[in-house]
Amino acid sequence: MDDLIALHTEGLTKHYGDVLALVDLTLDVRPGEVFGFLGPNGAGKTTTIRTVMDEIRPTSGRASILGMDCHRQSVEIRRHVGYLPSDLALYPNLTGKDTLTYFANLRGGVDWDHVAELTERLGAELDKKVGDLSSGQRQKVGVIQAFMNRPQLLIMDEPSNGLDPLVQREFQAMIREVVSQGASVFLSSHTLSEVQRVADRVGIIRDGHLIALESVSSLRSKAMRRVELELGTTVDAAVFDGVPGVRDVVVENHHVHLSYDGKMEALLKRLAERYDVVDISTEEADLEEIFLTYYREGVTV
Amino acid sequence: MLATVFTKTILDRWRGVTVGVASLAALLLMAMAIYRDIDLSIYTNLPEAFLSLVGIPPDADIAALSYNAVYNSYGALVLGGIAIAMGSASIAGEERRGTIGLLLGNPRSRTGVLVAKTAALVALMTVSAAALWLAGIASPQVLGVSVEGMHVGAFTVHLGVSSLLYGVLAVAVGSWTGKPGVAAAVSAGVMVVSFVAVGILPLVEGWEDLAKVFPWYYLGGSDPLLNGVDWGHLAVMGGVSLALFAVGLVGVNRRDLRSRSVGVSLLDKLRENPLTARVAERLAGSARVSSIAVKTASEHQGLLLVVSLLMFALMGVLMGPIFSAIEGYAVDFGEVFPEELVALFGGGDISTPEGYYQIETFGLVTPIALMVVTIAVGAKALAGEEENRTMGMLLANPVRRSRVVAEKAATMVVYGGVVGLATFAGVSAGSWLGGLGMDYGNIAAACVLATLVGLLFGSLALLLSAATGVVRLAIFVPVGAALVSHVVNAMAEINGAGWGRWSPFHYYLGSDPLVTGMAWGDAAVLATGTVLLLALAFPAFQRRDLRQSG
Repeated sequence: MDDLIALHTEGLTKHYGDVLALVDLTLDVRPGEVFGFLGPNGAGKTTTIRTVMDEIRPTSGRASILGMDCHRQSVEIRRHVGYLPSDLALYPNLTGKDTLTYFANLRGGVDWDHVAELTERLGAELDKKVGDLSSGQRQKVGVIQAFMNRPQLLIMDEPSNGLDPLVQREFQAMIREVVSQGASVFLSSHTLSEVQRVADRVGIIRDGHLIALESVSSLRSKAMRRVELELGTTVDAAVFDGVPGVRDVVVENHHVHLSYDGKMEALLKRLAERYDVVDISTEEADLEEIFLTYYREGVTV
Repeated sequence: MLATVFTKTILDRWRGVTVGVASLAALLLMAMAIYRDIDLSIYTNLPEAFLSLVGIPPDADIAALSYNAVYNSYGALVLGGIAIAMGSASIAGEERRGTIGLLLGNPRSRTGVLVAKTAALVALMTVSAAALWLAGIASPQVLGVSVEGMHVGAFTVHLGVSSLLYGVLAVAVGSWTGKPGVAAAVSAGVMVVSFVAVGILPLVEGWEDLAKVFPWYYLGGSDPLLNGVDWGHLAVMGGVSLALFAVGLVGVNRRDLRSRSVGVSLLDKLRENPLTARVAERLAGSARVSSIAVKTASEHQGLLLVVSLLMFALMGVLMGPIFSAIEGYAVDFGEVFPEELVALFGGGDISTPEGYYQIETFGLVTPIALMVVTIAVGAKALAGEEENRTMGMLLANPVRRSRVVAEKAATMVVYGGVVGLATFAGVSAGSWLGGLGMDYGNIAAACVLATLVGLLFGSLALLLSAATGVVRLAIFVPVGAALVSHVVNAMAEINGAGWGRWSPFHYYLGSDPLVTGMAWGDAAVLATGTVLLLALAFPAFQRRDLRQSG
C-alpha cells in the first residue's frame, strides 16, 4: 500500500441544490508528500474533506484514498487515516483521556506510549473534561487523536486553530516527522505561513474550482519580488515607465519601493542610466501574496 | 425580531408553542365531534363525588367533557411542558451553549436578560391561553354544540397561569444552577408528582386537603370551567410564580456564570477522591467509553435513573398500600362505573387492584415514562451527534454507519427494558406490600406491552433522527403521534369504533393484560412495528449526507 497515491480525486463535484460547492475537482496527494489546500471561507475546502471522508456523498466524480474507494471502502480507509475536522467538536463530558480511549477502542492498534509522547510534546491536558478546556487545549486533544494510530494519511482541516505559536512549531515538526516516515498529509489552512513552512505542493480553490495546483517552489518562482532601492538623488517615478514587470511603484525622495517580476539586470540597467544606485534589497514574495494575487486576478488553471 | 432579548426569545420559541397549541385545538375539535356522536348517559350515571373529582359537571354535556378530556389533562401537561422547556433554556440554556458571555458582553445586566426571557415566557403563555380560549369557543360553534354555562375563558386563564408557574420554576432552578437539564427535570418532576398527587389524595379520607400543597390543585380545584375564575387560586399561582422569579433573580446575580456547561456527576467527584478513584475510574472513565452503545447509555443514565426510580417507587410500590387504604371507597365507585368509561382507561375495574393500577400507573404515566426515555435516546442517537458536530469524528474511525445505528438502537431497547423492569418490580412490590395478590405474570405482561409501545415511538424517533439529523423533528413528531394515537384509541374505545386498531395504544391495554395476561398477538404487532421502524433507520442513515451542524 506504501506506493499507492495517498489521495486521489477525479472530477469530484458536489451541489447543494443550485449551489455549486465543489466543481470537477481532480488532484492527487502523493506518497510522502504534504499537500496544502488553500482557499478563503466557503471556497469548498471543507466540502472536499467531508466528501473524501464519506461524511457527504459527491454529486458526481469519485475519490480514493490509498487506492480504496472513499465511499465503498470507507471503513477500511479509516484504519489508515488520521482525521482532524475544522471547528473541532468533542464530547464535553469526557476527559481528554476518555476521548482518546473511546476513539482508540473504535480504531484499534493505538500505542499508548506514542500517545504519551504526543501529549508531552504538545503539552496537552488529558485529565480535565473537554468542556472545561480552552479551545487550544481542545485542539491538542484533536491533534493527538489524529496522530495516535500512526496513520498513513493525515487529513486535517485548519489544524492550527487555537494553537499558540510554540505549539504550532511543534505541530509542524510532527508533520515533518510523519512524512519522513512515509506518511502523507493533506492540510487545509488559512494560515499561509504554516503551509509555506510544511507543504511540498499546494492547491488553491476558489468558488469550488481548483485554480492552481503547483509545488510551493514553483509558485514562488513565478511570484513578484518586492524591491527596495536607495538612489543618489531624488527619483522621478517616470523612469520606470515601460520597464516590463514593474508594478506598485512608491517613491519617497531617494527611496523607491516596487514589485518586480523579471530579470534584475533589466531594472538596474534602466536605473543606472540616470541615477547612482546606492543600495538595493529584494524580498521574495511569500505565499500570502501569491494567494491574494490568484484571488484578485481570477486566474484559472 | 432580533432587536431585543425579549423578541429573540419569542422568535426562538414561537414554532414549538404554535405546534403545541394547534395540536390541542385540533384534538379539542376531534374530541367534541366524537362526544357529540355518543350516548352521554354513561357519564350522568356516575357518582357525584367522582364527577367532581375529575372536573365533570353533574349535568355533563358534550362541551364540558371535551374541555375536560383535552384541556385539563393533555393541555395542561403540554402547555406546562412547553413552559418548562422555555424556562429551563433561559439563562441556563445560554450557559450550556456557551453564548451567555457574548450576550452579556453587550450592555445588558443579568437581571435585564432574565426579566426579558421571563417576559417572553409570560407573553407566549398568554398568547397560548388566548389561542386555546379561541379554539375553545370556535370548536362548539363549528360543530353546533351548546356551551351554555361553561366558562372556557376562565379555564384557559387558569391553564395559562398554571403553566407559567412550572415555567418560572424552571427559570428559578436554571438561574441558581446554570444547568438546563436540572431545571427541566426538577420542574417536570414537580409537575408530574403534582398531577399524580392531586389525582390520588382526594380519594384518601382525611388526606383531601393535602392536595392543596401541590400546584396542580390550583389548575382545576375550583372547577373554573363551571364556576368561573377563582381569584384566590389565581393569586396563589401568581404569587408563587412571582416568588420563584424573585428567587431566580437572586440566584443569577450571585453566582459565577458557566462558560460552557459541563455537568459534574457523582461519579466525577468519586473519581477525584483518592479513596474511590480506582473504582470510579472504571465506571466513569474507561468503562463508559468501551463502545458506542455503552457511551450512549452513559449520556442518558441520569434520565434513566430518575424515570426508573419514579416508576418503581411512586407509580409502583406506593400504589399498593394506597389502594389498600382506599379499597372500600374504590369498590363503591366500581359498582356504578359504566363499561364504556372503564374502556377509556384501557379496560379494567377500579374496584380491583388490577383496575386501579391500570388507571393510575399503566393508563397514562407508564407509556409517558417509557417514551420520555426511548424518544430521548432515539432522537438524540444520531441527530444529537450531528447537532453537536461529533458525528464526523465518530465516523472518522473504522466503524460502519450501520454499526452506529445498531449500537444506538441497542441502547434504546435496553433502556426501555430497564424502565419496564423497574415498573414490573415496583408494581409487584406494591401488590405484595398491599397484600393485593395480583398475578406477577400478568404484571409482567402489562410491562412488556408498555415497553413495546415505548420502543415503537422511540424507534420512530430514531428513524427520524437517522433520516433527517434534526433532533427537534425526531422529538416532536413521535410525541405528536403518541398524543394523537392515544386520544384516537381512547375515543374509539368509548365509541366502540373499529378504527382504534390503527392506534398502537390499542395493542397495549386493549386486551386488559393485568387481568387476562399476555396478549401475544398484540405484542407481535407492536414488536413488528418497532422492528420495521428500526430496520428503516439503517438505509435512511446510510444514504444521506451528514449534517455539518445544527
